[in-house]
This record gives sequence, C-alpha cells and structure tokens, in this order.
Amino acid sequence: MKLNYIYEIVLFVLLVLLQTLLLNRISLFGVATPVLYVYFLLKLPVGRTPYSVILIAFLMGLIIDIFLNTPGMNAAAITIVAAFRKNIIGLFFEEEGHDEYIPGMNMDAGPFVRFTIFMVVLHITLLFFIESFTLFNLKNTLLRIVTSSVVTIPLILALDSLMFKRKAGEQ
Amino acid sequence: MRNLFNFIIRNSHWLLAALLVAFSFYLVFTHNSYQRSVYLSSANNISGWFFSVSKDIGSFFHLKKNNQLLLEKTAELEKEILALKDRIDLLTVSDSLEMNAFVKDSASLPQFDFIPAEVVNLSFAGANNFITLNKGAKHGIKPDMGVISTQGVVGVVSNVSRNLSVVIPVINPKFRLSARLKNSENYGSVSWDGTNIGEVQLGELPKHEAFHQGDTVLTSFSRIFPRNLIIGFVSSEGHSRDDNFNTFNIRLSTNFYTLQDVLVINDTYHEEQKILEETLQR
Repeated sequence: MKLNYIYEIVLFVLLVLLQTLLLNRISLFGVATPVLYVYFLLKLPVGRTPYSVILIAFLMGLIIDIFLNTPGMNAAAITIVAAFRKNIIGLFFEEEGHDEYIPGMNMDAGPFVRFTIFMVVLHITLLFFIESFTLFNLKNTLLRIVTSSVVTIPLILALDSLMFKRKAGEQ
Repeated sequence: MRNLFNFIIRNSHWLLAALLVAFSFYLVFTHNSYQRSVYLSSANNISGWFFSVSKDIGSFFHLKKNNQLLLEKTAELEKEILALKDRIDLLTVSDSLEMNAFVKDSASLPQFDFIPAEVVNLSFAGANNFITLNKGAKHGIKPDMGVISTQGVVGVVSNVSRNLSVVIPVINPKFRLSARLKNSENYGSVSWDGTNIGEVQLGELPKHEAFHQGDTVLTSFSRIFPRNLIIGFVSSEGHSRDDNFNTFNIRLSTNFYTLQDVLVINDTYHEEQKILEETLQR
C-alpha cells in the first residue's frame, strides 16, 4: 500500500519533468507536441475516489502551467478529464469491486488501449481549445489536436509496455 | 432534506471539479503578459532553478564558456558600432566648421547598452511561446526591454524576477513590432499567425509596396529596439485581411530552435522618452 504511493509520487514527478523539460520543446512538423502527463491518470487504481483524483490532477496541471507560463490552461484541461475519469472507466472496464486494479498493457491490453485513446484525445482536445482562446485558428487547432494525439498515444502505449517488461524481468 | 444532502454528498466531487476548473479559467482569462505575477511564471525561483540545472547540463555540450566570452565581445562591439554610427551621422550631416556648437560631447554615453544573457528555457508548443533568460532585475533587466541575438530580433522582456526574466518572442501572438522593408520608408506591423515557428507576417503595408522575394525586413520606429535591426527576409506573399494593405510572409533571421545566447538592449533614453511622450497624452 505504501509502496503504491511512492510509485505514484515518483511517476508524478517524472511526468511533470518530462513534460516541461523535454516534451514541450518538441514541435514535430511545427504542429505535433506529445502531451504525456495524462498518463498519470491512466495509472491510478480504478477505485481511487474522484476527490483525490481531481485534486492531484489539478495540482499537476498547475505545476505544469507554472513551468510553461500558461496559467490555468493545463490545469483546467486535466481537471476536467479527472472529473470524468470514473465515468470513462465505467465505459471500458466492466468488473466492479477491483478497486486496486491498475489498468495497463500487462493486464488487459484491449480495454487499456481504448481507455488511453479516449483519455488522450479528450485531454488534448480540451487543452488545445482552451489554448486557442488566445489565438483562434480552427484549422490549425484541429490539425494540432489530431497530430498531437497520434504522437502521444503510441508513446504512452510504448512506455507502458516497457515498464511492464522490466517488471516481468525482475520477478 | 436528507435526500438533498445525500445528493450533494454523492456528487460533491463535481462541485470540487467545477470550482477548480473555474479557478483555472480565471487564471487563463486574467493572464496578461504585463500584469501577471512572477510566482506563476517560469521566472520564479523553483522552476527557474530546475531550468537552470537542466540548461547547465545541456550547456556542457555547447562550450558554454566560449560562447559567453564571444557574447560579451559582441555586446562590446555592438555598443561601439552604434556609438560610432552616431558620430558618423553627426559629422557627415554638419559642416564641422560652422556647426561646431552642435556636435555632441564625445564623452556622452551611447544610447544603447547590451546585457548578454543565456536562454535557460524555451517553449514552442502551441500559441504561448516564451523564452526564459538567466539574467534578472539584479543584472539591470527591466520589463519592456528588447532582446536580440547575433542573428536578429528575438523579442521583448515581459516579466522580471531577481535572477531570471521571461521574454515574449516574435513568435507569440501577443507580439507586435513596427517594421519596414530595407529599400522603402513605408512601415508595417510584424505579428505572428501561429502556424510556423520560422515565419512571421508583415502586415499593414501600403498596397503599392511591391513583393520582392528576399527583401530584408528591418525594425522601424519603436520604443524598444534601435532602428535598422534585421528581423528577417521576405519569403512569400501572405493573405491580407483587407484589400487596402499588403501582407508578406517573413522568414525570421533568428533560428529559435538553436537559440542559446542573446543580448538584452538597455535603452538609456527609454524612461526619458516615455515620460516626455506621456506629457502629450494628458
């Protein structure tokens, strides 16, 4: 149980650093930017109460905003995603009562892939539309949403598969 | 009543989310590059420290020290060039015999001073591009100072903390700069449409201004930049919002992807000019 929290804190810090120091400097073809930190919400146990998920997500968004000089944008997007997380989990994972179940490629690849796609597309759509308040250009925004999602989803799935592999090796 | 309470308790996480989202949107909409707090920007100490560390590691591969020396040298030379240009202007315009009384005191300070700084962080993902520099109020940097690189114009300082400062680059939709083509006196306005990091738009040019590929674009009258600094080169004809003006696409001379060292312009006349111009507005 305690180990779980340490693992979550480490993941939190790593994702924030990865996003702010590395990923946000990437702009593939001038449009696509990987937005990886939503991965944190994918890897929390499915039974985690919406309260804590929303609070931690908001905190994460705010920290990223501070680093990236975009007050409120990432925080708003990730908080909305966190609020709907419980409902989205209901769409893709059937069984109830497995509160400590952590979705992943190693557990149930099919639902996890669908879950990832849904969460990433939702998050990136929200984020880029909030961002476009300052610069409205629908064609460009849509292009950025599509390309960034296409870059982010494989990145998350690959990352998750790698982490799973290492764990299997240790056992 | 109990049902109502139950309902509220069961759904209170929505309330929490709504509050937090509302707070976030408040931040989004009150976010203004000139008034925003230093604490919520990359110029604050904690995030600044992280960026400095990550930059230090990166700098190792870029021969940090050599760059620094070269940059200081550039600042010195740049200053000298401007001072000399001033002298030349004075001497060529006036006959030295008659106009002796009007020749400037040669010991007077040059108008522009340059503070070398290093880029510790930059973000190009999306519309809100910014650059963080490793020099701040301690080193004499103030908001509204211009920033250039050895290649050309970079941006304008917007936020300053003790040790760091945030720059709004040319490639930010909030950035506006008056500019002109090299062989013409008509000026237009440089802005960025948010599509390409290497390209900005020069708009509000008179209709008769002809398109020539490769024309040099220079700064015009501005409170922030000296005249005739290079911004970029005309690359193609752009879309104009109305028929009265021409818009050209400009390939920036500054390469933001590899930007490392910059010079912050300290205009010693800035305050004086501002106060003088404000007396008119009253």
